[in-house]
Amino acid sequence: MTAPSVLLVEDDPPLRTLTARALQENGYIVRPAATAAEMWATFEAGPIDLILLDIMLPGTSGIDLCKMIRQRSSVPIIFISARASETDRVVGLELGADDYLAKPFGTRELVARVRAVLRRGVVEERRVIPSNRAEFDRFTVDFARRQLFSRDGAMIPLTGAEFDLLASFLSHPLRVIARERLIELSRTRIGDSSDRSIDVLVSRLRRKLSDDGRPAPFITVRGVGYMLNTSVNRI
Amino acid sequence: MVARPSLGLIGRIVGIILLTVMMEFAVSTLLYERAGEFSIKEDEARRLAEHLVIVQRLVDERPPAERPAITSYLSTDRYKVHWQRSAPERHMLSAELRQMRDQVVEWEPALASAGLQLQLASPVRNDSVAGQIILSDGSWVHFKMHGLVTGWGLQFNRIILALIPAIAFALLGGLLVRQTLRPLKSLNRAIESMGQGERIVVREEGSNEVRHLIRAFNQMQDQIGRMMADRTQALAAVGHDLRTPLARLQLRLDGSNDADLRLSSGEDIAEMEEMIASVLAYLGGDTDPEAPIRVDLAVLVATLVDDMTDHGHRIGYRGPDHLVATLRHNAFKRAVGNLIENAIHYGEDVEVSLASEPDAIILRVDDNGPGIPAESLVDVLEPFVRLDAARSRNTKGLGLGLAIVSRMVERESGTLTLSNRPEGGLRAEIALPRPNPAKALPRQQ
Repeated sequence: MTAPSVLLVEDDPPLRTLTARALQENGYIVRPAATAAEMWATFEAGPIDLILLDIMLPGTSGIDLCKMIRQRSSVPIIFISARASETDRVVGLELGADDYLAKPFGTRELVARVRAVLRRGVVEERRVIPSNRAEFDRFTVDFARRQLFSRDGAMIPLTGAEFDLLASFLSHPLRVIARERLIELSRTRIGDSSDRSIDVLVSRLRRKLSDDGRPAPFITVRGVGYMLNTSVNRI
Repeated sequence: MVARPSLGLIGRIVGIILLTVMMEFAVSTLLYERAGEFSIKEDEARRLAEHLVIVQRLVDERPPAERPAITSYLSTDRYKVHWQRSAPERHMLSAELRQMRDQVVEWEPALASAGLQLQLASPVRNDSVAGQIILSDGSWVHFKMHGLVTGWGLQFNRIILALIPAIAFALLGGLLVRQTLRPLKSLNRAIESMGQGERIVVREEGSNEVRHLIRAFNQMQDQIGRMMADRTQALAAVGHDLRTPLARLQLRLDGSNDADLRLSSGEDIAEMEEMIASVLAYLGGDTDPEAPIRVDLAVLVATLVDDMTDHGHRIGYRGPDHLVATLRHNAFKRAVGNLIENAIHYGEDVEVSLASEPDAIILRVDDNGPGIPAESLVDVLEPFVRLDAARSRNTKGLGLGLAIVSRMVERESGTLTLSNRPEGGLRAEIALPRPNPAKALPRQQ
C-alpha cells in the first residue's frame, strides 16, 4: 500500500513547513500549497487522499474553497482554524468537512486526526447514501452538525464518542453489533474518549436517551454486544 | 434631524416666570378691584356718614373764600378734609370701595345725591380710605380717613386672596419648568443604562440646549460603541493570530528529543492557549451571534460531569435526567465548565446539582475547598481579579473565569451567586428564571 498523500493548504510558511515535516515523519506524502491557486494546481496534478485546509487564507476564504472542492470531489477535508469556536466547527462540518483541527495543535493530535479521517474514508463507503438526518424512536439526528434532538426539538448534548457510537447503532438498526465491532468503529474518531470502555459509553448513551421511565432503545445481548431495537428513518 | 426652532432653556424659564408673574398680576388686580366688596364695621360706617353730612352742610353754607378755613377747622387727626374747585385726581391703582360706600349711604341717603365715592387711599395701605363729595355749586370736598378699623375683614381677606393665585401660579410655573426639563430625565436614564453596557438612542427633543446635549450624548455613545468594537476586534485578532505561532512552537517542541522540555514547555503552551481562549470568550460575550436554543440542561451538566470523572476527579451529579431550558448552548456550557473547573481546582470533592423550582432552574456547584473570604465574594466576579493568599495557589490564566460565567449567566437573564457553605467549601449557584409555568403548560381541553 502506498503512503497516503495529504494536500496541505496553509499560508504561514513556517507552520506549513513544520506541519509538513510532522506528517512526513509519520509516513505521509505531503503536497504543500500556500494559496488557493497553488492548491488547485496540486489538486489537478495527482491523486490526493486528504486535504488539510486552513480556514483563514488570504484572498479566498477556506469556507468558500471547501464548498468548491465539495462540488468536484468527495476527498476528505480537515479544517485548520484559529477560531476554536463551536459555531465555526459546526459550520465547517456542515459544509462537508470531515473534521476540525484547532490551532494550536501538536504532532500527536494532527496525526491522530489525519489517521482517523483516512481510516473512516476506507472503512465506510462514505457519501453513498447522501442522508443528513434520521429519525428513530423519539429522536432526530443531524449527521452534518453531529447533533441529537428529542422529538419536541430540545437538543441533547452528546460527546463526540457518544455520537459516533450512536451513529454506528443507527447504521445497523435491529441488528446485534458485537462489542469488538463497536470498539473498532469508535476508533475511527479520536477524542479524549478513545480509551473509554464501550460499556460505559453505552450506559451513558442509555441515560441520555431514556425518558420518564421509558428506556433508551438499546438492548444488551449478553456475551455478544448490543442492538438498537427500533427502526431508523433516513430523511 | 431637522432642528425645530426653539427657545433656549433660559428663554423658556424666563418665559415661564414672566407668564406666571403676569398672570399673578392680572388676577391680583382683578381681586383688588373686588375690594369694592370689602366692608367696615357698622358703627364706623355710621360715624363716617354723620361726619360727611356735617362737612357737606357746613362747607356748602360758606362762601368759597372761607371754605379752606372751615375745612381745615373740621379736619382732625383721623379725618382730613380739603376743599377744591375741580374734581380731585384719583390714584390710578386705588380700588373703589363700593360696598363700603353703600354702607355709608344707607345711613345718610343724602350723600348719594352728593356723588359720594370711596377709594382705598393708597394701593399698599389698607387702613386709610379716601373719598369725595360734590357740593351744590359743583366744587368738591375731598377727604381722607386714617386708622379705619377694618379689622381682619379687609386685611386677612386680601392676604388670602393675594396668596391663592401666587401659590397656584408658583405650582403652575413648577409644572412648566418640570415639563421643560423632562428630556433631561430620559437622557439621565440613558446614561445610567449605558453604564450597564446597554445602548439607548435618546430622542432629540426639548429646548435647544437640551437637544444639543442629547445629540452630543448620542454621538458619544456611538463613538464609544465603535471604539469598543474596534478594540474588541483588535484583541480578538491578536488572540487568533497568536495561535499560529503557538502551533509552530508546539510542532517544533514535538520534534525535540528533550522529554523534560517537551513536557514543561507543552504546559506553557497549553496555559497560553487557555488564556487566549478565555480572553476570546470574555470579549465574545457582546458580539457572539449564538442564538438561544432549547437544550436538555440536565444532559449538558451530566456530560460535563462525566468528562471530569473520566479525567479522574471525584465529582458527582444530583438532579433529574432531563430538564429542558432555552439558552445559548455553547456559552452556557463554557460557563458551567468554568465553575466545575474552579471547584475541582480548589476542592477534592465536587457535587453538581440541578433542581427545577416553580419560578427558576437552580444549578449549584459545591466544592469542599477553602471557600472565599466573605468580603471578596462579589469582587471575584469582576474581570482580571484574582485573590491572594489561600486561593492563589497554582492559579493559572487571567482571572477571567468567573467574570465569563457572570457575563454568560447575565445574558440568560439569570443570576450567579457565590457563597461559603456552612460545612466548608464554596457554593456557586446559577438561578435561571423560567417562563411562567402556568403559561408553558398546554391548555387542557
